[in-house]
Order: sequence, then C-alpha cells, then structure tokens
Amino acid sequence: MPKTGFALLLPTLLLTLGAADPKPELLVFGAASLTESLQELGKAYEATTGQRVIFSFGASSDLARQIQAGAPADVFFSADTAKMEALEKAGLVRAGDRREFLSNSLVVVVASNSKFRLTTAEDLVNVPRIALADPASVPSGIYAKRWLSGLGLWEKLEPKVVPTLDVRSALAPVENGAIPAAIVYRTDAAIAKSARIAFAVENGPEILYSVAPLAGSKNSKAAGEFVLFLSGPRGRAEFVRRGFTVRGAQ
Amino acid sequence: MPADDLSILLLTLRAAAIATLLILPPGILAAWHLARRRGAGRTLIETILSLPLVLPPTAVGLLLLEALRRSGPLGRLLDRAGIEILFTWKAVVLATAVMSFPLLVRPARTAFEEIDPRLLAMGRSLGSGPSSVFRRVALPLAWRGILVGTLLAFSRALGEFGATIMIAGSIPGRTQTMALAIFQRTQIGQDASAMRLVGVTVVIAFAAVWTTEILMRRRTQKAAA
Repeated sequence: MPKTGFALLLPTLLLTLGAADPKPELLVFGAASLTESLQELGKAYEATTGQRVIFSFGASSDLARQIQAGAPADVFFSADTAKMEALEKAGLVRAGDRREFLSNSLVVVVASNSKFRLTTAEDLVNVPRIALADPASVPSGIYAKRWLSGLGLWEKLEPKVVPTLDVRSALAPVENGAIPAAIVYRTDAAIAKSARIAFAVENGPEILYSVAPLAGSKNSKAAGEFVLFLSGPRGRAEFVRRGFTVRGAQ
Repeated sequence: MPADDLSILLLTLRAAAIATLLILPPGILAAWHLARRRGAGRTLIETILSLPLVLPPTAVGLLLLEALRRSGPLGRLLDRAGIEILFTWKAVVLATAVMSFPLLVRPARTAFEEIDPRLLAMGRSLGSGPSSVFRRVALPLAWRGILVGTLLAFSRALGEFGATIMIAGSIPGRTQTMALAIFQRTQIGQDASAMRLVGVTVVIAFAAVWTTEILMRRRTQKAAA
C-alpha cells in the first residue's frame, strides 16, 4: 500500500520538524572577508547578551541581491559602500543607520612554494592566470580592477583573470595550487595556510566597509545594538587584531 | 559526525521529506489523470510537467525568483499575508518540490497505465464511482510505482542545488543543504570538510537508489509473471 511510502518518510519528517521554526536569532549577512572576525564577535556578543547571532557570508553583491529579493536578514556588513547605498535607495536601510569605520587593503598572493617572483603590478603579466572576485560586481574584484585600471594594466591583464564568487574563493585556488596568483585583502592573506603575500598594493583605491541594521528586520532593536557593538571598542579591537584598519575615534 | 555536519544533514532530510510529502497528493493525481487521458492536451501537460527535468535548475530557480520577488504580483500577495518564502527554509522546500515533481509523476503514471483496464471497468460495473475506483482499485495496484516515484523524488530533493541556491541562498543553519555546503566549503578551500559531507551523501544516495532498484525489479518480475 502507498502507506509504506509514508512509513519511510514520516519518521524523518517528525525527527526533523522540531527544528522547523526559526529561532529568534539575529541573522547577519557579512562580506566573506569578515568571516573570522564576525564569527568571533558573534560569540563574544552572545556570551555577554545571550542574543544568538548567526551568519551568512559571501560576496557583498550577492548578499545585497538576496536582501533586495526579501531575504530575512537583520544586519548587513558590506565590503563597500555602494551596495549599502543601493539598499538605502531601495528603502531597505534607513538613512543615518550606516556605520563606516572599517578599511582594508589589497595584496597579491601566490602559493607558499610558488616559483613566481612578483614584486610589482607589472610582474603580473608573467603569470598565466590571476584569481580575483568577479570584478563586475564583487567589492574586492571591483577594487582590484580599479587599482589595475589606474596603472593602465587592466586591458592587458583582463584575459588572465579568473573571476570567482567572492574573495575567499579567489584565495582558495592559490592555496591548492590551481591558480598561481590572486588579488585579495591583506586580512585574507593573513588567514591563508599555504599562500603568502607576494607584494602589498600601495596607493590602491580607497576601501571602505559599511554596516547597518536592515529596515525590514523583525528584531530591529537587537540588530541596532549589534551594529553598535561591532563599531564599538570591542568590535574595533577584534578587527584591528585581524589586520583591518579602523577609522575615526569611537 | 561534527555538530555542523549533522545539522546540515537534518536540514537537508527535513526539506526533502517535506517537499516529497507536499508533492505526493498533486503528483499522484496528475499521474492518474495523465494515465487515463489521451490526445494533444495530455502531451502538452506531460511536457510542461517534465520541464524541470530538462531545464537547467538555475533557470527554474530564476523563474521562481521572479514569481516570488517582493515587487512581483505573487510576492506582494505573500508579503501582505506575512508569508516569507525567499531565502528561508520554505524556499528550499519549494525549489526541491518543483524539481522533484516530474520524478514522482513519471513512474506513478507508468504504474497507473500498467493496470489492466478490465479491472477498472469491473470496479465501475460493481457500482464504484470514479474516486472510489481510484482509491480502491488503482492506488492499491499502482502503489509500487508510486513508491518508486516517491523515492526518486526524495533522492532528487536531497541533492538539488541550482534552483535552491537561486531562491534560498546558502545560509548556514537555515537554507544550506548538503549540496550547497559541499559547494561553499570547496569554494573557500575546505576540501576535507566538504569531502566528509560527500561521504554522507554517498551513503544516503546508495540506500535510496538500492531501495528503488529492488522495488523496480520486483515490479518487473511481477509484470513478467
């Protein structure tokens, strides 16, 4: 009888239905480059306030797109200000709610055992392929393109570019040897296990992160408080420890 | 198994189970009607229902996304009713349900078609109405095909990727299923932990396909006999 089918499925369903209702956690959408620091700060926040914070990390462009489509996030931490401005224009972030205090810089990384000797942007012409986050949309890719365009090298290097989903997926193929070089943030290079900085980008484009509670949050009080925590002394200390640059006094 | 992996597994099983249960009633009814109707209309409906099998899953995902986005007509309706679907676990269920639907309908339809029409006629001549014939004659005779379809749909639901990532994203603990977690972990270079999940999916897929094979073999043996 078809009941056998239900008999197979029902226990699975019952076992797992318990978790079906979303708990009143704070859902934070964060730029991939913030993964470790935000996870650390989320734990610290939960320890002091009891408020559980969960994260979804990815390209800021992808996260912003999800928020525009109606994703139920409470806080957004973007690696650039453009995505936040777009959300503000769309009425998804309230004017005046943004905090912009975090900065970063670009580096060129190669595998730890790489034979490539790269010291300047011009040297990148000798590398067959370069991984960077999609320069059409993802902040770190946009910054990288801006930097290389400023030097007049973009046209020459563009055919070598392997666009990736976010900055961390540009770092990964360098670490496992699939792609010889990548342009990532200094803070990403800091967590790499088998990649090293070939050279740091000097006089690169201005990099500015932006964080805000989302207007559509069902938990907006907690969202606002978490943003204040991130931009407060505890948050700033953690970001500095991870190699970010922090602007302005609290 | 690490707690993270276990919760991903449970989330995946839950979404797949709910999706499969949701499509069972409409799927069985669709299969029953397709098995009995003839003509061009039937082929058209059959083709439309099978589209998720052949379309790129991302295409199905985009169609769903367009239909449900907040600014769209359906999205606005849901918004007013306070129902959130996009980028929640409900979106995972929806994406997997749509993608699995044809896999349930096809074997179920074949099973209904294999029923000796004389048996159905007999049921009617004994005074049963159409719904009674369906419940008391057709369903009991076709159950194995329906079960095969159910298992196929469930297996498909477990591994769905393209449509899910389009409408549910890959939010850990909320919408990140096994397939999405494998992709995400590989993307950030955590191949070893992705491989752990691959191991789990291989075991589950093996069990599901094994069961389906055994059921199908019994059916062909019965048909031959």
